[in-house]
Amino acid sequence: MQRLKAMVAFATVLFMLVPTGLFASSHREAPISALDHSADVTDWYGFVSYDHPDRVTMILNVDGFLEPSNGPNYFPFDPNVRYEMKVDNNRDGVEDITFQFRFKTEIRQPGVFTGYVGGIGGIPPITSLAGPGSEGLSLRQTYSVTMVKDGVSTDLTDGQTLYAVPTNVGPLTMPEYQQLFKQGIYDLGKGVRVFAGTVDDPFYIDLGAAFDSLNFRMGVGGVMSAAEDADDTHNYASDSVAGFNVNSIVLEVPITMLTVDGQLHPAGDKNAVIGTYGATSRQRITIRRKNGKLDGEGQWRQVNREGNSLINELIIGTGSKDRFSVDDPENDKQFANFFLDPLLAHLYASILGIPIPPAPRTDLLPLVQYTGPICPGCGPNDGGPIADLLRLNTGIPPTPVGKQKRLGFLAGDLAGFPQGRRPIDDVVDIASRAVVGILADPVKFGARVGDGVNINEDGNGATFPYVLPAHSGRNSHHTGPGQKGCTGQPSGVCPVK
Amino acid sequence: MKRIAALLLLVLGTAAGFAQSPSAPAETKLSPAERTMAQAKKLIEKNPKDFEAYNALALALSRRARETSDVIFYKQAEEALQKSFAISPDNFDGQRIHVWLLLGKHEFAAALDAAKKLNLKMPDDVMLYGFLTDANVELGNYKDAEVAAQWMLDLKPGNSPGLTRAAYLRELFGDIDGSLDLMNMAYQSTPPSEVEDGAWIVTQMAHLKLATGKIDEAEKLSQQALAMFPGYHYALGNLAKVRIQQKRYDEAVELLKQRYQAAAHAENLFDLAQVLQLAGRAYEAKQAFAEFERKSLLEANRADNSNHELIFYYADYAEQPAKALEVAKREYARRHDVFTLDCYAWALHVNGQNEEAHKQINIALAVGIRDAKLFRHAGEIALASGDRSAAESYLQQSAELNALQSEQARATLARLTQSAEGRVTHPRNHQH
Repeated sequence: MQRLKAMVAFATVLFMLVPTGLFASSHREAPISALDHSADVTDWYGFVSYDHPDRVTMILNVDGFLEPSNGPNYFPFDPNVRYEMKVDNNRDGVEDITFQFRFKTEIRQPGVFTGYVGGIGGIPPITSLAGPGSEGLSLRQTYSVTMVKDGVSTDLTDGQTLYAVPTNVGPLTMPEYQQLFKQGIYDLGKGVRVFAGTVDDPFYIDLGAAFDSLNFRMGVGGVMSAAEDADDTHNYASDSVAGFNVNSIVLEVPITMLTVDGQLHPAGDKNAVIGTYGATSRQRITIRRKNGKLDGEGQWRQVNREGNSLINELIIGTGSKDRFSVDDPENDKQFANFFLDPLLAHLYASILGIPIPPAPRTDLLPLVQYTGPICPGCGPNDGGPIADLLRLNTGIPPTPVGKQKRLGFLAGDLAGFPQGRRPIDDVVDIASRAVVGILADPVKFGARVGDGVNINEDGNGATFPYVLPAHSGRNSHHTGPGQKGCTGQPSGVCPVK
Repeated sequence: MKRIAALLLLVLGTAAGFAQSPSAPAETKLSPAERTMAQAKKLIEKNPKDFEAYNALALALSRRARETSDVIFYKQAEEALQKSFAISPDNFDGQRIHVWLLLGKHEFAAALDAAKKLNLKMPDDVMLYGFLTDANVELGNYKDAEVAAQWMLDLKPGNSPGLTRAAYLRELFGDIDGSLDLMNMAYQSTPPSEVEDGAWIVTQMAHLKLATGKIDEAEKLSQQALAMFPGYHYALGNLAKVRIQQKRYDEAVELLKQRYQAAAHAENLFDLAQVLQLAGRAYEAKQAFAEFERKSLLEANRADNSNHELIFYYADYAEQPAKALEVAKREYARRHDVFTLDCYAWALHVNGQNEEAHKQINIALAVGIRDAKLFRHAGEIALASGDRSAAESYLQQSAELNALQSEQARATLARLTQSAEGRVTHPRNHQH
């Protein structure tokens, strides 16, 4: 035996000493994805389509905090990432159906200094994604949509060339951006629609206050007044995400494509309930090579995922965030302690002086298991493993636009988070209240915890693709503390303190 | 934050040169480990309550143990670590280093337990997966080792410790080319200032070349490692193997003497004794073997031992098969890695227990390893079991690898061909 057989001893000193926990933020929750922004899943939505109660819409948002003016290359999807929407329909925590999206990039004007140009140098304004009017789209992306079910891959593109909608560069280059946005909506037949492109980020939060150790703005956040809490149309604190774009993939499919037996089910039937999550994967080096393939062309390995919003951001400990991101939901039992005794609850209790239920927090199980109230038809043996999946009861009809509540399920709007998630849902306030115990006892633990950001100030889409066109690179701005933009405040100015 | 910056400064300094010997003259430039040791000591002098500086010192000392192959540094590293724990009980980095030291001392089962516990506390710590890989590899838990190493690659793509561990697993699974690819990637990502790390990777690449009979390339790589880290004991060992393949035995003897001088371990003496015998220097060989046995027996019951070599010594040179089996059983009780299985199988074989030997060597080969010595042993065991067809197949595989043991495999194959009845006498007293 070779003493000090050095496989045992190989590790650079630098590597050993690099601190293991890095700063985590909302849209870049895990250290691993903070370093891989194009594969960073920022938000995951799944809901019964507002105008098609027989369909489900899923939205996978990636690569957050895109500053609209950040040229010249702007924000293409990453061709080396496989973007995925996954659906579990038999309550075992394992995906049964996966929708995969792959992007290809073409550079059509290699001599031009920027990805998009129009209205100058003989190049017409960009008014179309293809053909005349598209000449200025130097950087153009197409994508594929594939459904994987029972090990069989099916191309869903219906023979169409699907173009991703570029970001909104500005009025000279893209004078009719709304039209470009609409051109990016594709009907693939059989009730399937798809959209991919850069859009306004529908997520809203006072991020600075939340991550300054829950230092919410005085008189606004923390525990909100009844009036502030009831207001679904104004902001009382600044939305840190306002004015930023995000890359979005939106897919609408018939519910019958998702359920275990291909049928529609009433809300009381357990087969009406699906568990969903969004994920990104890259091809990675694997120890066992397949057919001698070169490294870098290896098997797909998950980089990031999201089921319930804010689970990784607010519940999972920093020392586990990467493992959580890379692992599969079916293995989430290893994180059960985080779910069943969240540190955040104790922080809220300590900072705001509010009561929280004692651990173990079984009241949080509906977020990570199949059970009531999201799955009233589920019996004691139907819970499945602890798994971070966004659970959606496809039998619960959508709430019409205009009657939707930001507090979703908590406000009696049964089609809202955590029963699925819509762009309008105030997941920050809902998740915070769930953490402090509202699901255990709405009276005893029903503090109106919130950040004072009640809406996406740009609004929300009422129909497919339910996201709004990207902010203009030339003319957009953000909203911050001390600036205009908080219409709930008497002065309209967002509070600093 | 300042503390982290200071620790990083410890490891970011550049080095143009170094000395391997612990007793190097003062004017000689320091090795990477010596450099970090000196810097950690300065920090401790400045603030004796700085437990992180003690951790850094412990790490640097354990690194120095690898640079010099002198286990005294492990003892010193443990002392530094105790001081760290006295200031900050159970600090996480200290616990990580503790696992590393356990591995260095070959206390694999204890290291595995400790690494598992830390992994539960900090699942994102990539290095802990490295420790899990190491412990599992050494214990022969290859499936668990593979899972842990894959986590390293997934959590932090391209990290050198992950790549080298994945490379070793590929080698064990029989994918030598794939192993070389990963070692090369690891080498490319190693900072030039980390000369010992670089030399270690190049040495591993030389080993892979040797394992597949690419002698010229192995020689170049060994020389490259020695240029990077003069007197590097691992590289001396590989270069000696090259010389053996070239039948330049006296040069091999000199290299192994040099290595033994730098790293006076029993197993290194065993290699030297074998080559002395090959060189026809029977008296020196006999003396070296005797000294090896004495030293090896002293450590035979410790975790860090030279029992593999002792088994082959008793089996192939000392004609004491019973003793070979006794040591092999003891080692087998501790671990089931492919090399221990090979030793055990060989010890069973020389004791005439060929059925069990066949079973054990097959378990080892089922891992996928393509090693000339293991194939040759499998061939000899099959032959002794009366399975000539299997014997020929194993011996052929050994011969094709053109590595150190291939010549003996070829000799046995030749005898088989010449023997009309297919019966050959088993030659004794050959290199294991």
